[in-house]
Amino acid sequence: MTSAALLGAIPALPLHTAGKYVAGAYVVLFALVLIYVAIMAIRLSRIEGELGELLSLAERDDVPAATSAEREPQRESTPA
Amino acid sequence: MTAALGLVFFYAPLEEEQGFLQKIFYVHVPLAIVALGGFVLGGLLAIQHLRTRDARWDYRSYVVIHMSLIFALGTLITGSIWAKGSWGHWWVWSEPTLVSFLIIFLLYATYQPLRFAIEDPERQSRYASVFAITAGAFVPMNFIAVRLSTAYLHPRVLGSTSNLPASMSFTFLVSLVAMALLFATLCKYELTAKHTRAQVRALRRRLAGEAPGSVARGRSAAPALHVGSASGAATATSRSAL
Repeated sequence: MTSAALLGAIPALPLHTAGKYVAGAYVVLFALVLIYVAIMAIRLSRIEGELGELLSLAERDDVPAATSAEREPQRESTPA
Repeated sequence: MTAALGLVFFYAPLEEEQGFLQKIFYVHVPLAIVALGGFVLGGLLAIQHLRTRDARWDYRSYVVIHMSLIFALGTLITGSIWAKGSWGHWWVWSEPTLVSFLIIFLLYATYQPLRFAIEDPERQSRYASVFAITAGAFVPMNFIAVRLSTAYLHPRVLGSTSNLPASMSFTFLVSLVAMALLFATLCKYELTAKHTRAQVRALRRRLAGEAPGSVARGRSAAPALHVGSASGAATATSRSAL
């Protein structure tokens, strides 16, 4: 069947028939956005986890540095 | 978006010929316009990349094309649903607008594999930019070619919105603006997420004792972002990439 013939046979669909198609189209848009946002949320939580790891790594590195910095003035004050 | 949906279902009148089914028009057409506009924008950003050799433009082009591809997928699905309700068929191969849009979609579907196939980041970004420009130029050419074709079967939107009643035109324009805002928001969201990830990786490398500028990178379709310098200038540059 050609497109012209198809278009010629277009009736205005009643609400109960057209409703499911309209709902389907809007649900598709909603689902696409939802899936995208969900994927981004998963990625964001992964980044959050990585940041937590890095923070603990940085704190671990900072503790020896801070301890040695605290010791430095003591050494200087001892001879005096 | 909420305003657009409110207008679509409570303000815009029912169309005579298609009745309630015509409400798909307010989601399908803005999706298509924003997707095609995004493809063209991706090409323009790629031109800027080739002109300046600045990786940030390639990065923006990549994200915009990626997002446009998602919107184009939405266009194809909603279009098929509309075709099924309207013509009784999910797809009509003799309809030039449908087929040309599918061609554009398939063309851009090769963008990611193309990037992935090239391991060297410099070559990858250059080739991807050339692709984005060529394909971006193809989009308006394709649009004009379809318009010039003799079979005016698909509903014409651009140039014929003045034929719509004022309430329908207004609803359509609000839907278009809403869709464009959704596109811009999601692009910004993705740019920020990718940039944050790059910064976290750079920080990890820094804490692991690697050189600040070193990029540990396997094969990836995404452009390489060079972040990781702790200087204020570098931070400002990486922020402006968004």
